[in-house]
Amino acid sequence: MNPRPSYAIGTGLFILLGFAALAYLATQTTSVANIHSGDSYTVKARFQNIGQLKARAPVKIAGVRIGDVQSIRLEPQRMDALVVLSIDKQYNDIPDDSSAAIFTSGLLGDQYVGIEPGGSPTFLKSGDELVLTQSAMSIENLIGKFMVNGGPKSSSASSAPASGDAPASGKP
Amino acid sequence: MNANLRRNWLVQGIASVGDCGLFFVAVLGALPKSLRYWRETCRQVWFVGAMSLVIVMTCGLFVGMVMALQLYYTLSIFGGTAALGTVVALSLFRELGPVITALLVAGRAGTAVTAEIGLMRATDQLDAMGMMAVDPLAYVASPRFLAGLIAMPLLASVFNAMGIFGGHLVGVTWLGLDNGTFWGNMTSTVSLHKDILDGLYKSIVFGGVVSLIAVFQGYTAPPTSEGVAYSTTRTVVFSSIVILAFDFVMTAFMT
Amino acid sequence: MTVAVAESGSPSDALVQVRDLRTRLGAKLIFDGLELAVPRGSVTAIMGPSGTGKTTLLRHLTGQLRPDAGSVRVDGEEVTTLSRRALFGLRERIGYLFQNSALLTDFSVFENVAFPLRQHARLPEELLRNIVLTKLQAVGLRGAARLMPSELSGGMARRVALARAIVFDPMLILYDEPFVGLDPIALNQVLRLIRTLNRTLGITSILVAHELAAIRQVADSVCLIANGKLVAQGAPDELVHQDSPWTRQFFGGDADGPVPFHYPAPDYATELGFAGARP
Ligand SMILES: Nc1ncnc2c1ncn2[C@@H]1O[C@H](COP(=O)(O)OP(=O)(O)OP(=O)(O)O)[C@@H](O)[C@H]1O
Ligand SMILES: [Mg+2]
Repeated sequence: MNPRPSYAIGTGLFILLGFAALAYLATQTTSVANIHSGDSYTVKARFQNIGQLKARAPVKIAGVRIGDVQSIRLEPQRMDALVVLSIDKQYNDIPDDSSAAIFTSGLLGDQYVGIEPGGSPTFLKSGDELVLTQSAMSIENLIGKFMVNGGPKSSSASSAPASGDAPASGKP
Repeated sequence: MNANLRRNWLVQGIASVGDCGLFFVAVLGALPKSLRYWRETCRQVWFVGAMSLVIVMTCGLFVGMVMALQLYYTLSIFGGTAALGTVVALSLFRELGPVITALLVAGRAGTAVTAEIGLMRATDQLDAMGMMAVDPLAYVASPRFLAGLIAMPLLASVFNAMGIFGGHLVGVTWLGLDNGTFWGNMTSTVSLHKDILDGLYKSIVFGGVVSLIAVFQGYTAPPTSEGVAYSTTRTVVFSSIVILAFDFVMTAFMT
Repeated sequence: MTVAVAESGSPSDALVQVRDLRTRLGAKLIFDGLELAVPRGSVTAIMGPSGTGKTTLLRHLTGQLRPDAGSVRVDGEEVTTLSRRALFGLRERIGYLFQNSALLTDFSVFENVAFPLRQHARLPEELLRNIVLTKLQAVGLRGAARLMPSELSGGMARRVALARAIVFDPMLILYDEPFVGLDPIALNQVLRLIRTLNRTLGITSILVAHELAAIRQVADSVCLIANGKLVAQGAPDELVHQDSPWTRQFFGGDADGPVPFHYPAPDYATELGFAGARP
């Protein structure tokens, strides 16, 4: 009836594009995105304190990202945090005696899980657990330590956790 | 209203707000009838929405890019660059997306709608429609109003998506932030309800406001070249003010 | 008034009946007790000096403008108090030719003429095409069907508007100056068209025009409006030869007489500063 169907097509395309953008925003930039499954396997790790670690935080070996944090939940009977790491299938040769630690990138940056490879000849499989873990460094504890120790000497130590090799002494 | 009273600019301003409100009711009343003219609505969605895509996408991209640059600099002072994705996304979804898109649409499509309707009035086309028993409110005003309502949230979504893309481009590709950090922090903070949907509600309201003002200004434009010109200007001025004022009010209610 | 206003038929067979119409636009009193009756099936011409309110009268008849007082009945319905919906219902039966054509600039000539049909009748495309082309043929513009209104000359636009006004074969057609800008050939065609519509379909026509020669060929009666009132009414030939100051002045074209040539204004000399301003 109408001589201009091009409008209808163009409008339809526009509306589709708009909804595609909306769907993209809703699924890829919100927590909805955390529910994902790819070619990966999962490994568990328990931490006394995960600090600010969040789901989808990166998992790294030697600074290279190999996967991300899939979920974090509290183990009620043991009162520690069970963190499920999702690791890319291609990194299937991680020794099973490797240790996991929660590091902070930068002084106030976000936290990630760093894996320190061990020397075992057997590798991690899906569902395995990393036994050796190191909790997150909390800034309150660091400041507390600084106040107690005092002196300019320890001010240089405040940059230590950033590099990720501070001892896991930060227990409450 | 009394002619003497009308001369006072304050009273005149209030009266024109009242006129606009009455016009809004009339447009709403004509909406059911305008469903018959859905093709016209479709054409207006094309005109208001699709034709604004280029400007909205370009602006979204640059806003995202410049935000990433600025925020990276600011956040790096505190060592908090990891929050870049989060901050870019939140600012876009909650504020910049709806507001800038609304301002762009007011400038790009609102003015055109006002000028078009104003000229239709000046050349008796609205009267001619009325004489052909086609209600110009239903055929001209309502479809344009509806089109603004439909197009604005979609455009804002496109704007946001482009902004995220721009932010990612600068933050991750250029400045070398970690890709997982960028997305991970964003996805763990941005909430579908509080951020994306609230932003969407805002842009729906803005869409209604901008197209109502544009249509109203066109409809009531004096049938002269000067009158149409002034009305077009007023569309931009009033839209901008009302968008920002509504933004404040809605933000206050939403947070 | 000086001339007896002939009551054209009883009110029952008058399609349009205007009683005691009073309108003020801005500061100017346009109608001051106008009485008018247009019998069903007639062609009535409305004449009067420019600016007397002929267009305004047509706007009253179609409810585009509400008068301050008085009654306007069209086909038995009181236009002045009609609801919006009922008014649109009535307008579906009225064709209206705008003084400035008022074509929809978004649509081609064909779509302009097809517009009322598309809105109010669910016709198969083939039939609609035939009707539109027939009407365009009648005004000699079938070849221009694909043009846009901006590509038309003034006279062409007028003929397209005419085709649009008659496309629905309404019961009443109001022509606001249909002959302006038409060349003699087109004029004759349009005259023939108006006559055919009236004679074959019985469509009542009210036409506002200044061309006396043309009016004599089609109009059954002429109404002369001046000073907000109907000052003379009758068959065209009668009226021209009628010996009243109104008709004599209007058809004679004299500037002086009861029909005002000038828009109401203060004294000429005073305004130019010659009178009263001198010490
Ligand atoms: N909106 C308005 N406000 C004030 N005055 C108006 C308005 N519209 C028309 N008028 C006045 O009403 C009078 C009648 O106008 P109208 O258009 O009806 O004249 P007309 O008889 O059709 O003249 P013409 O033969 O030139 O077309 C004019 O004197 C005009 O100044
Ligand atoms: Mg006129």
